[in-house]
Amino acid sequence: MTVQTPVETLHPTIQMLSDEQAQAIHHTSLDILSRTGIVMKNEAGRELLLEAGAWESGERIKIPPLLVMDAIASAPSRIPMHNRLGELTMPLEASKVFFGPGSDCPFTIDVETGERRKATAEDVRRIAQLCDDLDQIDFVMSMGTPSDVPPLDHYLHSFINMIRGSVKPNVYTANNREDMEDMYRIACAVAGGEAELREKPFLLHYAEPISPLLFNDESVDKVLFCAEKGIPVTCLPSPNTGGGGPITLAGALALGNAECLAGLALSQLVRPGTPFLYGMNTAALDMKSAIVSYGSPEWPLGMAACTDLARYYDLPVWGTAGATDSKVVDAQAGIEATVAVMAAFLTRCNLVHDVGYIEYGTTSSVEMLVVVDEIIREVRYIMGGVEVSERTLAREAIHRARPGGGFLADDHTLDNWKWAQWRPALIDRMRYDNWVEKGRQDMTTRANERARQILAEHQVPPLPEAAEEVIAEVVKEREAR
Amino acid sequence: MTNSQILEQIASNLYKGEDKVVADLVQQALDQEVSPADILNGGLIAGMDEVGKDFKAGDLFVPEVLIAARAMHAGMNILRPLLAESDVPSAGKYVIGTVQGDLHDIGKNLVKMMLEGAGFETVDLGTDVRPDDFVAAVREHQPQFVGMSALLTTTMPGMKATIEGLEEAGLRDTVKIMVGGAPLTAAFAEQIGADAYAPDAATAVDVARGLMA
Repeated sequence: MTVQTPVETLHPTIQMLSDEQAQAIHHTSLDILSRTGIVMKNEAGRELLLEAGAWESGERIKIPPLLVMDAIASAPSRIPMHNRLGELTMPLEASKVFFGPGSDCPFTIDVETGERRKATAEDVRRIAQLCDDLDQIDFVMSMGTPSDVPPLDHYLHSFINMIRGSVKPNVYTANNREDMEDMYRIACAVAGGEAELREKPFLLHYAEPISPLLFNDESVDKVLFCAEKGIPVTCLPSPNTGGGGPITLAGALALGNAECLAGLALSQLVRPGTPFLYGMNTAALDMKSAIVSYGSPEWPLGMAACTDLARYYDLPVWGTAGATDSKVVDAQAGIEATVAVMAAFLTRCNLVHDVGYIEYGTTSSVEMLVVVDEIIREVRYIMGGVEVSERTLAREAIHRARPGGGFLADDHTLDNWKWAQWRPALIDRMRYDNWVEKGRQDMTTRANERARQILAEHQVPPLPEAAEEVIAEVVKEREAR
Repeated sequence: MTNSQILEQIASNLYKGEDKVVADLVQQALDQEVSPADILNGGLIAGMDEVGKDFKAGDLFVPEVLIAARAMHAGMNILRPLLAESDVPSAGKYVIGTVQGDLHDIGKNLVKMMLEGAGFETVDLGTDVRPDDFVAAVREHQPQFVGMSALLTTTMPGMKATIEGLEEAGLRDTVKIMVGGAPLTAAFAEQIGADAYAPDAATAVDVARGLMA
């Protein structure tokens, strides 16, 4: 037979918004910006917008559609995130999906004692070290608000411990411009210089307005700082349904879209081409406990819709998965994480955070991180689709099979079993007696053991000496104050 | 309807959020010469207490509480001028605000609504409230309570600064100080010298009442 074109493997996707739906939301967002307007508390941000064609109306600034469309056009569709060794490990671009933890949990579950206690700087380093080894985790976030450092410096200490704990790219938070300047100094020392950092960024800043439509001073300042330096940034609203956003998801999406686009516009006005990660968080504000619900189905639903909007704009996009409202790593945690991880993969959300969050983001759990690592591993396999080819159709093996017999010992099985089937790393498929003999362990217990093993064994390359020197300087300056 | 029947009706309709019915019944009660104080305590507050109890037990949703609060306001709109005339004491005066540097207020507003439902008079200072402004408000309004809210860990120190400001002004002993917000804990409240911490709006009312006793 002449060489034939192989049958292409379909990789499953979902579409949450039709083009019409996306358009309707987009037009509503433009209308929100030009007829309702935002409140801009940052002077420089205000001037930038006014100079570019926005206008004041009472206490609001109203932004014309053209300003927004220009910003969407100038923003890059791809953010080439590197690790701190200068390797391109996380290009945020169409169809790629990357996972990582979240930031700033006040509490953590102690890996030795199981106690829920306040997070420390060492926890941030330790969790980064764990993430450094987990092969389904692509980036780090702080996962802790260190309680053992001066309160106003906790972001700085988180940043330092994150980059010490892992080489993977990081998404970081900060209090204000001063924090950003210190973190930038350290980052430049790691990368080898400002130009090097811009070319191979290993950090992405997370900033947020306050929904609805309030752009507070420090948050805007941080966005402007990143644009000034040409380093990656977000301006991510959280119009949680019934909280910062309307109770109905489409309204929350339109509002969040408007807010994110306003942030995008600011970044592009400072420096066209600033790498900007688009997105929003659309959790439900729970109507009994008034918590922001990390397990709510509204969130993955909104994430998929938001990713469709990002495709409409051709921008890289942020999302959330792997978190739970449960206070323990139990069936609820498994359910909530899996629904969102599946949604993230199927919609092709580029940067998916909050893996390992329990108790609606108040507490970090290494067990949850390890469990969700396995969930990601398994769902990733589903995303591979069904290869239909000569090797997988197994025509000859079927032809020679003994009717009523089996394929276990067939050559085709022996030749292909390694790649053809998925094998769990943490999920258990033992026979009952074996499981009893091994201690009747549930998944969370196994996750804890795995975490302890990683923490005991995994080595992380240290920061360059120049970076440690700058860190020492920065910390000394802070202490002197 | 007898007077006690009307009060029962006010309470049960308030619970269901029937604001127009509550307003009519309040007027009817006044026409039947029930005193404004009795209508307030036996009708409106009695109804909101049931709401608070069921909310705390996890049987009611926040929107149901808010709808009930709306019915309470409908009743209060009629009663308020009469209560002022006849000098009926409120459950207490409560100055509330989100601390300096923090603009988050959903939680604070929920607490405020629950307090008003329980008959407290609230003075809402809004968000980004400097320690000096809390002190000035205490001086001006002479409340029994000051409540402070924060959502950002970086703004929590403002709570201690406010307490210190009240001490310097010689006003600390005149108020009970409560604190709350997502990153707050009872331990933090104790550390900074607050009188109490409440983890959510439902508990806040009980905590406030407990401090009065």
